[in-house]
Amino acid sequence: MQNKDSTASDTITVTIGATVPTGFEHTAAEEVHEKIGVDAHVSKDRGRIYFPITTDKLFQVHLLRSVDNLFVVVDEYDHYPFKESKGETLNELQELASKLPWTNALEVWRLNRTLKKKKGYRKGGNGPKLKPSSETTEADGEQEEAAVESQTEVESGMPDTSSTQDAVEAAPEAKVIRFRVTCSRAGDKHSFSSNEAARDFGGAVQEFFQWKADMTKFDIEVLLNIHNEEVVIGIALTEESLHRRNISHFGPTTLRSTLCYGMLRLCKPQPSDIILDPMCGTGAIPLEGAIEFNSSFYIAGDNNDMAVNRTVNNVCHIQKRRADKGSASGLPIDTVRWDLCSLPIRTSSVDVLITDMPFGKRMGSKKKNWDLYPNCLREMARVCRPGSGKAVLLTQDKKCFSKAISRMGGLWRKVHTVWVNVGGLHAGVYLLRRTGAVFGQTPEDIYESRGTVNIQEEVKNENELS
Amino acid sequence: MKLLTHNMLTSHVKGVTKGYPLLIKATEVKVNEVDFNPQFVSRMIPKLEWSALVQALGQRQDLPGELVADYEKDDEFLKKVHRVLLEVEVVEGCLQCPESGREFPISRGIPNMLLNEDEV
Repeated sequence: MQNKDSTASDTITVTIGATVPTGFEHTAAEEVHEKIGVDAHVSKDRGRIYFPITTDKLFQVHLLRSVDNLFVVVDEYDHYPFKESKGETLNELQELASKLPWTNALEVWRLNRTLKKKKGYRKGGNGPKLKPSSETTEADGEQEEAAVESQTEVESGMPDTSSTQDAVEAAPEAKVIRFRVTCSRAGDKHSFSSNEAARDFGGAVQEFFQWKADMTKFDIEVLLNIHNEEVVIGIALTEESLHRRNISHFGPTTLRSTLCYGMLRLCKPQPSDIILDPMCGTGAIPLEGAIEFNSSFYIAGDNNDMAVNRTVNNVCHIQKRRADKGSASGLPIDTVRWDLCSLPIRTSSVDVLITDMPFGKRMGSKKKNWDLYPNCLREMARVCRPGSGKAVLLTQDKKCFSKAISRMGGLWRKVHTVWVNVGGLHAGVYLLRRTGAVFGQTPEDIYESRGTVNIQEEVKNENELS
Repeated sequence: MKLLTHNMLTSHVKGVTKGYPLLIKATEVKVNEVDFNPQFVSRMIPKLEWSALVQALGQRQDLPGELVADYEKDDEFLKKVHRVLLEVEVVEGCLQCPESGREFPISRGIPNMLLNEDEV
């Protein structure tokens, strides 16, 4: 169903930019191709993709699950001719403000605001503030029964025409528009800082439009992205905030939903796939799966009491939201409390194992990982279906993981690794395939049964030799 | 706990060789509507231990003891299986190991399968 009343008689084509978890740019491009039907361009500036869209299809961008933030491009330069001196460069940036083709981008910004209103705000907020298409919620650390402040709906990207916020539309045009400029700059040949660029460019924008500058309560956020010689000017379509759309009950290491989605896409869930997360924490990964790849079945498990309860709370929260909208509320997910080194699951019955393994910094410890990783990988191999089974494992402890995997060639093969950034830590998402070998009969199994093996010792010895 | 999950769970108490299927003792059950996907159900059936599913239901359902040919085309049958696998949930109760008798409690729909140190 098209949203017709918010566009003028002609539709225009614009370029949309999206920020995505670094490492998952190609996954995001795939999703764009699948859901919007256009080819996305992966930027050299990591974590960004660009794609064209016509304004009548704008609402579709809010259906994308792999993007953190969206913006509409005002203009872009592949090789911006920066001047030598700071003074000249900043002057040029100022002059740029009045020369840019703002019209179409501003039209899209207005259109986007209408889309958001129609989704149904539950809070007035401070003026027509842009909200992300995913849920922004207050994280309430340890307490279970946190009240959830959700401000937009996620389930369907379709504008809900039954909510009546249209009357408010007239008002914002009459009042003064507030804006701010956010500049991100990367590269070692620039003569200026991002603050200086933001300040000078912002000043010129203010002059040109007669808008009011406001760092906190703004209607329009202008983005100035400078990456070496590449300059992109855009207008934000979402707020700068982490997308934890499904989670209302956070834990200490809850993964953002866009990263969960990227990991799930990697393993390509098939109808009737049984997908296990043996260390589910707050259930972010299996819950994203149950919503977005809902023809598979998810079993989330953890040994920690708080974790399983949080997972169930998060599932219930989503189910209640669906029930409130009159849809079938049940999700294909269950939660179990278990010890992942001794899973109470039938051998060879699981199609995919997907999890965020303890990094040893915020959770667990590096020392514990030496024992945990091999035990965990073996138990996962046992329950995983030989031949067709897969695993998608995220970890920052790459050394320990690589060592553990290298000793399990009879059970697991590395297919692909995606390097990502999780909360400032450099981590890897490893895609593994389960070999066709029956568990308990590979050479490693027989070798291991002869006595305990200490891989920490092995690595220490190797380090001493090299 | 849905019955699809129950079909996958087994007792792993030390020394137990016949820990599957676990016996269900339910004190609270609820039914939750889940969107029906015939492809999901028909592809899931071969992955199940069918007899364990029938046994878990006892007299309450009218599923055949053995699968008939061409069940993939029987929508009525698939809908019954869908309901039983995904919509019926044990909220409170326990799962009992058929060999050792050890009980694993279910609370808020979550089975607690953790073993004590002496059972591992």
